[in-house]
Amino acid sequence: MTSTPLSVEAVRAPSFARTLAAMGAALRVGVGQTAAAWPVLGGRCLFYALIMVVLSALWDRVAAERVAGAIAVPGDLAVYVGVTEWITLSIPALHLKLEDEIRGGLLEPHLLRPKPYFALAFAQGFGAALVRLAALGVTGLVLLEVSGRAAPPPSALGFILVLGLLGVACGMLLYALAGLMAFWARRTLPFQLVIQKLMFLMGGLFAPVSLYPGWLRQASEASPFAAHLYWAGAQAIAPSAAMFARGLAWQVAWIVLLTLACLALWRAGLAKVLRRGGV
Amino acid sequence: MRLVRLYFEEVAAAIRCAFADRANFAIQVGGMLLNNGVFLALWWMFFAGFRSVGGWGLADMALMLGLMMTLFGLCGVLLGGYRDLAATILRGEIDAILTQPTGVLPRLLARESSATAWGDIVGGLVVLTLFAHLGWRDLPAVALALVCGMAVFASAGIAFASLAFWAAGARSFARDLTDFTLLFSSYPGSIYRGAVKVVAFTVLPAGFVVMLPVKLVRAPGWESAGLVVLGAALYMALACGLFDLGLRRYRRGASSAG
Amino acid sequence: MTTPAITVRQLRKTYSYGRRAPGWRGILSSETVTLDAVAGVDFEVARGERVAIIGPNGAGKSTTLKMLSGVLEPTGGSAEVLGLTPWRARQALAYRIGVVFGQRSQLWAELPARDSFRLLRRVYDQEAASFERRLGELTERFGLAEILNQPVGRMSLGQRMRCEITASLLHGPELLFLDEPTIGLDVTAKAAIRDFVRDHARDHGQTVLLTSHDTRDIELVCERVIVVNRGRIVVDQPTDQLRKRFLGRKVITLQSAGAAIAVDLPGVTTRPSQAHTTILEVDTRQVRVEQVIAAALAAGGIEDVTIEDPPMEEVIHDIYAAVG
Repeated sequence: MTSTPLSVEAVRAPSFARTLAAMGAALRVGVGQTAAAWPVLGGRCLFYALIMVVLSALWDRVAAERVAGAIAVPGDLAVYVGVTEWITLSIPALHLKLEDEIRGGLLEPHLLRPKPYFALAFAQGFGAALVRLAALGVTGLVLLEVSGRAAPPPSALGFILVLGLLGVACGMLLYALAGLMAFWARRTLPFQLVIQKLMFLMGGLFAPVSLYPGWLRQASEASPFAAHLYWAGAQAIAPSAAMFARGLAWQVAWIVLLTLACLALWRAGLAKVLRRGGV
Repeated sequence: MRLVRLYFEEVAAAIRCAFADRANFAIQVGGMLLNNGVFLALWWMFFAGFRSVGGWGLADMALMLGLMMTLFGLCGVLLGGYRDLAATILRGEIDAILTQPTGVLPRLLARESSATAWGDIVGGLVVLTLFAHLGWRDLPAVALALVCGMAVFASAGIAFASLAFWAAGARSFARDLTDFTLLFSSYPGSIYRGAVKVVAFTVLPAGFVVMLPVKLVRAPGWESAGLVVLGAALYMALACGLFDLGLRRYRRGASSAG
Repeated sequence: MTTPAITVRQLRKTYSYGRRAPGWRGILSSETVTLDAVAGVDFEVARGERVAIIGPNGAGKSTTLKMLSGVLEPTGGSAEVLGLTPWRARQALAYRIGVVFGQRSQLWAELPARDSFRLLRRVYDQEAASFERRLGELTERFGLAEILNQPVGRMSLGQRMRCEITASLLHGPELLFLDEPTIGLDVTAKAAIRDFVRDHARDHGQTVLLTSHDTRDIELVCERVIVVNRGRIVVDQPTDQLRKRFLGRKVITLQSAGAAIAVDLPGVTTRPSQAHTTILEVDTRQVRVEQVIAAALAAGGIEDVTIEDPPMEEVIHDIYAAVG
């Protein structure tokens, strides 16, 4: 019997760097998958355009009529909503992927690999989000041009890009929390709906949280939902470096906290699966 | 008459299926109520701040949302099959029904009944009674508005889904068009102008689903009632015609489906 | 002697779950029911050995495989795989083993197989050069060149399975776990996979542990068979010996226009069946299949003949009957 023994060809370098490399590869897979499904991407851009038509019509009407006793509109809210919808529509359904794989017993093949599943799933989802951000971003700029609205200054566009990217990360981590509940709940839809509705309300999807009454405004600004949407949107109506720094600080803090929360849920869920052989 | 009985028996069976998993049913209905509640809260805050938009106040918006939720819910419960009709056509599931002696379209519509739709019905009725400033005298107008709005919304869904007889890619397209109609129907009718208004009264018929019905309830009259009924009749005829044309194509074997 | 690839001592797994009484009483109380999926098994697998674990559904095969690959913690006992305790060193072990689940895909359905393989290179920290070399080698030997750029979701089951096995071998695992690798495949695809797995393992001194319902998988790939039932090992012996005792049987079904056909040869028994159908059980150690067919043809009136291996369930049944 001939025998050329197989050896482990891997060089075990610092494992963190190796994990990052694998996440990079997963991110590229996400980019490839999303770009390949371009008709779906096109449909999403069309949806973005339509919702912007409706919401601009709404905010333009509000700005045009000055009803006695109404609060003042702080700038062009159509552009604000353009930014928050840009982020919202870029988020991939990470919670559904998690639910499918956890509930469908599809985790095992992933657990048999030497890299953390959650990190790879997140990276793959973020790759998908990047493609959508790009496609919807271009759509948004075209809409801005066609509608003849005043575009935010270039510096603000830079701020929006940075806050938008981190906002997507916040949103994905929030949805991941809902998806990870699949270790304990048969359907994660209720968790997802609660998080989504809080995004609408406290995140300021349709109007900036600065319009809210005092206590709700403060609670919203400190919430992860504002980190997801509001801070990026705020740059569209009142661009300022100070606001940018404040938003960035909140986003970084929430990304760290939410990541820790996701990892804690993942560990607890994984321990359950390893012990019981399923959920 | 026999057909009507068969239809309701099928719907009853579909509703029993939706009720079968009670925990799941409760979660779905609860989730939908929460969903609708937050949506209403957002509009409440909007009108608290801005008072009115294009002459519409919170009561008008509540009337519109209430009508939309209720008729969307009724469609989901009674005509649930409309939601994934395109997929049903594309999977060739029509064949089994074609071999049976009864009407094809009613059978397809009665096949499914959505659980979440009950949440919409309950939510819609609550919104209509509590926030829309309605009295007993408005009841006939509201009923007419609901029936006609339902007919237009379901007809639009059937027409979009019938495209599947011609193009295989129609499934997600049909769903998108239905979602767009829903989107147009969820904002104050008074904000649309020009080309957008034309779209709302043609391709994505939000105008006939809720906007005209709201007018009918607020200012009842023979003219507005006639318009609402005429719109519903037109869209129903269009949907049936398109479906029938597609079905004939399908039977000839020229369709992309099957 | 080198240390074995796998050493298992008194390995146990007990599942417990609450069973509710029907009706309203069930809302208030439930009793805990326990199930011994694996009830204390002992065995060793030497390096380079190819071993099959067989048994009826629910016998504990998959549970054992899961514990040995580190995705399930046992209730008791110990196991050492390649010098590691699987459930304590899951990630370290993952670099050194390959696993294929026949009924579950580990590739990304929307992506071409090549893209999945490239992602796996990063997952297993492989150098680009050695990865390309191995991919080239496996592509050639497994005839993948034409399907490498096709999305996995659009492949036939046989093509997909070849890609799954390739994916599990790319990082050069010392030990390969296969759970029902040929399930649902046609005869040609099964043969291709069996030949490949056997030859690849032989050439590289790779250890293989497989479960299957198909006796041919076991005969053609493995040198040793472990039969389990109700969580315990019933038989553990070389395939050759098992074949002599239990696998040397064929089932011949004859369809005839007239009455049932009688074949009177040693080693042939007739099973009860319907009219116009004769089912013969042939012991191939005593009589050759062609002799039986010739005898049947001589009797005349035959319209159709099928020759089959007895199904796994029957073989296992025979084994249980033999060991008591």
